[in-house]
Amino acid sequence: MLKTLINELVEKWPELWPILAAIAVILAVVPFLGLYMTFIERKLAAYVQDRVGPNRVGPFGLLQAVADGLKIFLKEQIIPDHVYTVLYFLAPTLSLMTAMFALVVMPFGPVPTNYTGGFRFIVAPGIDIGILMMIAISSLSAYGIIVGGWASNNKYSMYGAIRSCAQFISYEIPLGLSIIGVIAVAGSLNIEHIVDAQSKSIWDWNIFWQPLALLIFFTSALAETNRLPFDLPECEQELVGGFHTEYSGIKFVLFFLAEYTHIVTVSFLTALLFFGGWSCPGIPSPSTPEGASLTYMLLGLLVLVLKVSCVVALIMLLRWALPRFRFDQLMGLAWKGLIPLALVNLIGVAIVLSLDLPKHLLVVTAVLPVIAAYYSATQFNASMAKLNSERSVLSKSRAMSYE
Amino acid sequence: MESLTLAWPLAQQAFDPSNLPLVTGSPIDGHFSKAMLLVILVGAVAYWCLQRGVVRSKPLAIAGASLFGLACVMAFSAIPKPTTFPEDNSFSDYLEPVVKMCFCLLAAGGGLGFIVAREPVHAALGFATCVLSTCGILFMQHAYFIAAATMIVYAGATIIIFLFVLMFAQQTKLRIYDVELTRPAVAAFIATALLITITYSVSDEGEILPTKMDLTRSRSLAAIADNPESELPPVSQPGMRKEESAKFVPSKTSGLGRAMYTDYLLAIELAGTVLLVATIGAIALAQKPEEGVS
Repeated sequence: MLKTLINELVEKWPELWPILAAIAVILAVVPFLGLYMTFIERKLAAYVQDRVGPNRVGPFGLLQAVADGLKIFLKEQIIPDHVYTVLYFLAPTLSLMTAMFALVVMPFGPVPTNYTGGFRFIVAPGIDIGILMMIAISSLSAYGIIVGGWASNNKYSMYGAIRSCAQFISYEIPLGLSIIGVIAVAGSLNIEHIVDAQSKSIWDWNIFWQPLALLIFFTSALAETNRLPFDLPECEQELVGGFHTEYSGIKFVLFFLAEYTHIVTVSFLTALLFFGGWSCPGIPSPSTPEGASLTYMLLGLLVLVLKVSCVVALIMLLRWALPRFRFDQLMGLAWKGLIPLALVNLIGVAIVLSLDLPKHLLVVTAVLPVIAAYYSATQFNASMAKLNSERSVLSKSRAMSYE
Repeated sequence: MESLTLAWPLAQQAFDPSNLPLVTGSPIDGHFSKAMLLVILVGAVAYWCLQRGVVRSKPLAIAGASLFGLACVMAFSAIPKPTTFPEDNSFSDYLEPVVKMCFCLLAAGGGLGFIVAREPVHAALGFATCVLSTCGILFMQHAYFIAAATMIVYAGATIIIFLFVLMFAQQTKLRIYDVELTRPAVAAFIATALLITITYSVSDEGEILPTKMDLTRSRSLAAIADNPESELPPVSQPGMRKEESAKFVPSKTSGLGRAMYTDYLLAIELAGTVLLVATIGAIALAQKPEEGVS
């Protein structure tokens, strides 16, 4: 039996090791990234608030993240006695597991569309439904939060869980609708093919003809990561800590790591779907013979990482630039703002595709959010004016009756 | 019970060494479906006894439980055992059925948990387990699109069940109407009818009607299966058997999309209309009542 296994492994090794290597890269990089993203976030926050930020441990404070990690690993395990123990422990694991699982179909470096042997920057290449799979898995990531919130048996955690529930369900729809245009033009759900379709010239990048889709996608993806303008499930001022109020030490770290993994995933997706992924003028596509060389592969990797870090920095700066939504505003934005805009965008793409018009005509959709914003502002002002006049009439009549 | 019995055809498929890596998998032979019929009937009786026995008498409940056990044993014995594996068989030939069987057991266990769990949240989690394990089986059958769609639609929508559970479920102890169904006989009858229908539709009985799949049209499902560029109809007969038609099922997602909007356009449009009507109904229901209406 053991001999069969070893023989089998030796036989399958050429196709097995690239997958194992890609998994190892993800497992090694993600915790490290999570650790250092906290550091970068603190430095950026310090920059925004005109402070210095962490600078004591190691050169430029670079070892601060390691010190924090060590501290939190060595913390005492506190298990409150009012929690449902099994689910309480399951929740952080579930959260991190779904976050990592979404990385299976995500290329983290240049991947040629014509696969040959050897190492590739993706765990499962050539999956026909790549982007759909990512959306499917990200829809599961709410489970960790909800189970955690419920198992904590605490009213603040419960509120956080319920809020995240509603938020996830609402923002999943514009997220899915916004990328249909990109998929329709690329003709594939496979992320490698979507990037390949953008690689001809810089004007083929999806941002240059789908700006509205990018806006909708980025907004809803941000809502899915529970980052600040949308961090209703864990807002400190209202809910103590939201769903992770009862968590401490390593369990809290798992939740946190999941959140940072989500940010990385979202940034990668934004770069891959809208900013041309690893394509850059001057670097041939990895699907061509000259682009498959090691130098161009590494250059492509560098380009992708640069694009992704720009998006990450944007997400982190947004935290200090935008105030938090109120919950009804959050729901209104998804259902009354993003979904209609996404539908209009979809109809535009359908018209352009079926009439064989040049796709860059769709740039016009960029003015749609401005029109929508203007319309909703006038509506809001009108309703406020009506309300105010009603109020003044009411107070006048009250004043009369008092007399 | 439903998911428990649903899992068996898949379990049987898992142990079938000749199954094809196609979307539909290999069809199940007629002998198996006849054996399953008996299992379903015994299961229905067992369910009725259990449901009555839980509230009325202990012996009846015990009888129901033992009947359930009997049904399980019968289902197990109905699964065709794999013929002897040759000596030089590779390890992955063993591995795949084992993983598939694990998914089947998880799906069955999740379904069972969904029904018997006392805590509403545990029930919702059981349902999620059941759906996700089914997705796992679908992934192993290379039905990626259906698996992802199931994940989004069912596992994603289970979050709404969670929401209802968190908001509305009573946290106090169970009442009598939580344990006892009002009409177990009717429930057992409906479940039996459904299961028999499902078992017959997945088993290899009968032929495909010519109206179901028009193989002569050039843009239909079958025409693009082997050669996406081809405009020629394939060499096939409308009355052919299911395992023959299985090779015309497209393995690519684009083929699936094309099939959906050519061969199954009417069904898609009907489903869309039903969903639209439901949406309009939901909006009508959600409107604020008029002034003066309580």
